[in-house]
Amino acid sequence: MTFRWSRWSPQLALMPAGLVTLVAFIGAILWTIYLSLTRSRRLPEYEIDWSDWGRQYERLFKDDAWMISLQNLIVLGFGSALAIVFGFILAAMIDREKRGESLFRTVFLYPLAISLIVTGAAWRWIFNPELGAEHFIHSIGLTWVNASWLARPETAMYGVILASVWQSAGFYMALMLAGLKSINSEIWSAARLDGVGLFKLYTEIIIPMMKFTFVTCAILLSLGVIKAYDVIVAMTNGGPGQSTYVPAYFTIQALSAKGNLGFASAAAVVMLLITAVIFLPLVLLTAWQQRRSGARG
Amino acid sequence: MTDLTATQKALGAEVAVRSAPYFPRKKKAITGRSIAVLAFLAICALFFCIPLYVVITTSFKTMDQIREGAMFALPNVWTLEAWDHAWNTACSGTRCEGLKVGFWNSVSILIPSLALSIGLSIVTGYALALWNVKWAGPFLFVLFICAFVPFQIIMFPLISMTATLKVYGSIWGVAIIHAVLAMPVLTLIFRNYYKDIPQEIMSAAIMDSGSFWKIFFEIILPMSGNILIVVLILQITSIWNDYLIGVTFGGLGAQPMTVNLANLITISTGTVRYNDNMAAALLTAIPPLVIYFFVGKLFVQGITAGAIKG
Repeated sequence: MTFRWSRWSPQLALMPAGLVTLVAFIGAILWTIYLSLTRSRRLPEYEIDWSDWGRQYERLFKDDAWMISLQNLIVLGFGSALAIVFGFILAAMIDREKRGESLFRTVFLYPLAISLIVTGAAWRWIFNPELGAEHFIHSIGLTWVNASWLARPETAMYGVILASVWQSAGFYMALMLAGLKSINSEIWSAARLDGVGLFKLYTEIIIPMMKFTFVTCAILLSLGVIKAYDVIVAMTNGGPGQSTYVPAYFTIQALSAKGNLGFASAAAVVMLLITAVIFLPLVLLTAWQQRRSGARG
Repeated sequence: MTDLTATQKALGAEVAVRSAPYFPRKKKAITGRSIAVLAFLAICALFFCIPLYVVITTSFKTMDQIREGAMFALPNVWTLEAWDHAWNTACSGTRCEGLKVGFWNSVSILIPSLALSIGLSIVTGYALALWNVKWAGPFLFVLFICAFVPFQIIMFPLISMTATLKVYGSIWGVAIIHAVLAMPVLTLIFRNYYKDIPQEIMSAAIMDSGSFWKIFFEIILPMSGNILIVVLILQITSIWNDYLIGVTFGGLGAQPMTVNLANLITISTGTVRYNDNMAAALLTAIPPLVIYFFVGKLFVQGITAGAIKG
């Protein structure tokens, strides 16, 4: 009896998770894909006009706000990539210097513990056009500086990028630091004996050695950028105008504010496709790494 | 990878320098370049601290002083007025009962969310790692993919389902969604931890007439202290900091603190009280910050595990 139970219990114990995966993930994704083919507006409709199944997608790519969202996604992606560069520089310096390591780590990582709504609130206040940093900078005589980035459509995205870099640089620093520490310490003395310059050492030896860490960071960053929503809500609410719309914000806006279900579903499907494009290299990379470590062990 | 070994290494290097003074490398590094590096790091640290400094000082200022526009000045008079407003009377939407409503909502969301999400994933991770289960491989792969699915693609179906189950807009609705969305990542974390348990222990336990649940509660759970605390911290901070799930599934009755805060800073009719806003932001940030400053190492372990293994 016990034996049989021990045979069946694991399967039973997996039922809830299996059910969740089947219903809340796979089922829900298929449901949304289906809805994106219908003419649903506020309430779901389940009739598909097969002669015109792509109409929501056509509308989507004719929508100005969606095109702005896609542009901003790319801008935000490249802008946030600064967090990786910044994180690597910080990690390299901390790793070489060693003194004050735990203090610097604590300082660089604390933004990660805070909600993005709080981060957005803080930066929104710093960028305040009347009373914020700009007022201070002008008051010390630098009147030509424009620091109320969020108030202008051309610069609002840069404000969002600054806040995102501030928030996530510490995270990439932590990943890079772990990567740097796994590098054999003999390389440093070997390079010194060979008279290799510090810059050359990093660009030609250390960074190529850490390419796996860099690729991981890049993929995590891209996935984070697609999900960017909270920081937009807290800092700009998509404005001024629609200048800081991103796909995540656009989709939720289409669903909750405009109440346009079919349209929002089409946007969500495109988001899923973008995620898949980024995700594929990660799967391949993991498989490659597993094979490598398997071969080594 | 842990900090302990890193500091030990650092200490070791330090000792080596002292016992071998003829070794020129470290000695040289203590001067010039070392100071430049430390200076650069200190400037970066300053940049990281500016927002926190501005938020803290603003929250203690009076509105009169804020209107003068000296953002980086210290408060002339330190006052707790803004904190009182933020906690007791700040408006979120049409209700003006302060952030305390959201705070207690967040607390009551946190407890069932933690229980559901950790309970579900620890059992799943255990079953997948230590028992012979059909389809374990493909199931793990699907979970790995689910961990990265954007929320928007499952948002409407989940709203429909919670509405059908009559939990939409309640604490339980938010908690269930937290558990569902955290399940893939947490399961992978637990499974990665348990898969290193030697097969001999499991064989011995099964021989000892241990059943699935008996082994779980008597052997596995007592061994899981480390990973449980890491996951617990990861979950507490991510549930507390969540905005999207709270605003989507909280309806009007179960809005967490972040939603209150977002309403306060974005929808401001009339004169905006920046000191109230900043006090509210700090109130929302304090619980995770306290956790971070006390058990930062575990927090970092949690987010890196969640990011890489997820």
